[in-house]
Amino acid sequence: MKKKTVLKVLLNLFFVFLALIILLPMAWMIINSLKTNQEMFKNSLALPAVPQFNNWVKAWNSGLYKYFGNSLIVSGASLLGILVLSSLLAYGLTRFQAKGSNVIFLIVLGGMALSEQVALVPLYKILKAMHIYNTYWALILPYVAFRIPFTVFLMRSYFIAIPRELEEAAVVDGYNSFQIFLKIIVPISKPIFASCAIVCLNHVWNEFLFANVFLESKALMTIPIGLMTFKGDLRADYTTMLAGIIIASLPMIILFLCMSRQFVRGLTAGAVKG
Amino acid sequence: MRTKKYTPYLYMLPGCAMVLLFVYIPVIANCVYSFFRLSSYSSGMKFVGFDNYVRFFTNETFWIMIRNNVLYCVISLIVQVGFGTVVALLLESKLAGRFQNVFRNIYYIPALISLTAVGLMFTFVYEPNLGLLNSALKALGLSNWTQSWLGDSKLAIFSIIAMSQWQFTGYITLLMVVAFQNISTDYIEAAEIDGAGPVRRAISVMIPLAKEQLLVCSIITIIGAFKLFTEVYSTTAGGPGNSSQVLGLFLYQNAFLHDDLGMAAVTGVFIFVITMILSIIQIKVTKSGEV
Amino acid sequence: MKKRVLSVLLATSMVATMAAGASALTVSAEEKKTIKFFHRFPDEPYNSFIESKIAEYEEAHPDIDIVVESAQNNPYKEKLKVVVGGDDCPDIFFSWCGEFTERFIREDLILDLTPYLEADTEWKESLMESQMVNYTLDNGMVYGIPFRLDAKLFFYNIDQFEEAGVEVPTTWDELVEVCEKLQEAGFTPIAYGNQDLWPSAHYIGTLNQMLVSDEVRAVDYTPTTGAFTDPGYQTALEYYEKLIPYFNENSNGITADMARSNFCMGMGAMYYAEVIEIPYISDPTSGLNPDLNYGMFKFPEIEGPGNPNILTGVPEGFVVSSKTEYPDECVEFLKWFLGKEVGTEQAQTIGWFNASIGTTEGVTDQTLLDAYNVITSAEEMGPWFDNALYSTVCDEYLTAASDLTNGDVTPAEAMEKIQAKALEAQTLAAQTTEE
Repeated sequence: MKKKTVLKVLLNLFFVFLALIILLPMAWMIINSLKTNQEMFKNSLALPAVPQFNNWVKAWNSGLYKYFGNSLIVSGASLLGILVLSSLLAYGLTRFQAKGSNVIFLIVLGGMALSEQVALVPLYKILKAMHIYNTYWALILPYVAFRIPFTVFLMRSYFIAIPRELEEAAVVDGYNSFQIFLKIIVPISKPIFASCAIVCLNHVWNEFLFANVFLESKALMTIPIGLMTFKGDLRADYTTMLAGIIIASLPMIILFLCMSRQFVRGLTAGAVKG
Repeated sequence: MRTKKYTPYLYMLPGCAMVLLFVYIPVIANCVYSFFRLSSYSSGMKFVGFDNYVRFFTNETFWIMIRNNVLYCVISLIVQVGFGTVVALLLESKLAGRFQNVFRNIYYIPALISLTAVGLMFTFVYEPNLGLLNSALKALGLSNWTQSWLGDSKLAIFSIIAMSQWQFTGYITLLMVVAFQNISTDYIEAAEIDGAGPVRRAISVMIPLAKEQLLVCSIITIIGAFKLFTEVYSTTAGGPGNSSQVLGLFLYQNAFLHDDLGMAAVTGVFIFVITMILSIIQIKVTKSGEV
Repeated sequence: MKKRVLSVLLATSMVATMAAGASALTVSAEEKKTIKFFHRFPDEPYNSFIESKIAEYEEAHPDIDIVVESAQNNPYKEKLKVVVGGDDCPDIFFSWCGEFTERFIREDLILDLTPYLEADTEWKESLMESQMVNYTLDNGMVYGIPFRLDAKLFFYNIDQFEEAGVEVPTTWDELVEVCEKLQEAGFTPIAYGNQDLWPSAHYIGTLNQMLVSDEVRAVDYTPTTGAFTDPGYQTALEYYEKLIPYFNENSNGITADMARSNFCMGMGAMYYAEVIEIPYISDPTSGLNPDLNYGMFKFPEIEGPGNPNILTGVPEGFVVSSKTEYPDECVEFLKWFLGKEVGTEQAQTIGWFNASIGTTEGVTDQTLLDAYNVITSAEEMGPWFDNALYSTVCDEYLTAASDLTNGDVTPAEAMEKIQAKALEAQTLAAQTTEE
């Protein structure tokens, strides 16, 4: 028994050690974001003499609030597009036994294997030709398109499992196929909608490559790309930049801590059946 | 259900159109571009045959990029998938105690921060004079261990890889924890009755039963390694010299810095072929159930 | 809980889509003449100064609407190459003189300002000729007007120089001696950060000017003829190599702004700086050490086939797109924005001079005035090396310099790679010009 207690203590010490590796850089960053630049230069490990909350205010006011708004708009619109189009597609694939469904499904699924980088240059030319380069749409449309294959994949396996009797009853009530989708399939599938939303949100909110290439205006930039301009925007104002990084990271972390259960389910639904 | 023949296709149309227009067509166009010399500010295109390919494969950074992408891949497999799974097993072991969920959540936090934020953060952590790493080493009396983490040609890529391990190991751990939780307790109890100790249980029961998830994690990690971009862009931008250059960044720089879209397209084709092969292996292996 | 999460997500998406749609619609509603203006000074206070001046101009000219965009140095280069030549090319944009703009001129994308200057001789004469030269082609075409003057000078910490008992060096040998003495006195001689790669270009560009003759450089800096076979280029890299022991450690791991910060905090007795950095040092709010006691001197002279009278650092300015709908309006705006009146205010408030004659009135900072005098009395200005070269050659040069700084290559090996890249660039540049 004693051996077990020792092991238990050792194991938990190991967990604490790992947690420290994760948390120390973040703590160091928070501490320094509350110092003056001179203090940080003298000793970056020391605590601030007087906490400079002003750094956080400065960071927020030097554009961060704008980037937040843009990220909300882009992520919101993309999520809506992803969920609506994917669920319709999955519905068409699963509930009709239409000819060629399998081929269509394979083609859509194939999109999962195509990476953003490969499409980057032509996509940029397409967006310019469509005159939506440097608008919110330049991000929303590709985000939606690139997330559809994966989301369809998840939704399809969920829809397939819905018992057919439910639909048959609805047909008797005189529902058409769209009403069935709206009033039966969607309400039943809320968990998978929530999971997909969370997986896509984490992806879209943090996306950098497309945002960096398809946007030009500072007024449209999302958080990840806005942060990069921060680097030069403030030149030698390091502590304010650290404050900016922290503020930018908080929303997803808070969302996770509040809803970790949904997160975990979404992530595993997303990965288990890859 | 009485529906017109084309109804199901109406539901599929918008989604399929999006995928075709914004995913498939660009990828195909990219393959076409790879045979041309073209620039983003003049509209002309000039057919150059395999010239771009020759320039790509004879480029002296080619092997540096391959080395860096493969290094990233191998180390990520060992640390994220290997070590991450071990941590997941430990968290799921009977010895772990009641804080295991807290630890699991803490380990996952870095995966929620955007790549750029992590990149910027680590440029400070690695800063030679006031960075966390060197300051901490000095404070511990280990001054001669201090390094120019991002400025040393031999170290830079490893510093970037280390940053990624910090960010994503907890993500794999979380996925594996859930996979282990999904294993029916019957199996584990049966193994216990057979007298298998915790280590044996892990090796001969838990890992084989979570094999599929483990495979998915490996493939995600491998494909991710060949798409590597933001981590390098936000820290060293490929330097010092070309020592931390990777395929994704090379593509980007050729397209938007050197205005050599043909070269960028070839790099795209190369990434495409690699990720495609890996994806096919993934699908094949998951279908047949072999590892 | 689940339900609430989903409905919140959906509601946000809805609002977001509508907002996105609405903002897309409002663009074309105006009937004003819209001029798109793209600059690379998003830092404060520079950005605010530019925006306030533009607002002032819009108020005086109700028919003009100037839409301002900005991006930081490196992203700016990437973005600009993407938009120039497209339908949404900005009407007026910041552009470095030399090869950076000349490649656009080869594609006919830049407005020729010569007729406007000829038509308004008063305007022409109000601009410094020594600076305008940089925005003029060999055939006489003027393609841009400077926004800020700049030059590379060594800044030095006067207190540390006194403590080490050294004087300002004027020759290379003296510079080495000063470095030695500073090191003996326990100081880091030169603060240097090359993580961003371009800082090395400023050293090498300056060295090339002294070690390679003007004629040879002119041939090599032209993409279609560049070969870089002159032995002077290798000598320049060898001189650069000789400085490495006097730089702070880890120069490749330090950013340019961090190097300046280190200089400000006394962690480096000298710093090869741009004079436009003076306001960054003296700014009481963001400057780390505004009371720093420092002076300036020119890069010490090296005897060689080159021209030691060239001062590195050309002005940076704005050009007009040849595709603009309103060329007259654009030129009219630049005339004011880059003229004497705004220039005087600009010097007073943000410490940057433009190329109009007589803008020093009201400037009290002696360091700034000293810098101004150095620039205006310079015989000739030398280009920013990284903007003077074809982009792939520049990339190879910077990569080589970075490797050289770490001791990974020798100057001879570096030059070999650069020469190979230059040959490749010759064909690439020729292909582009053919079209």
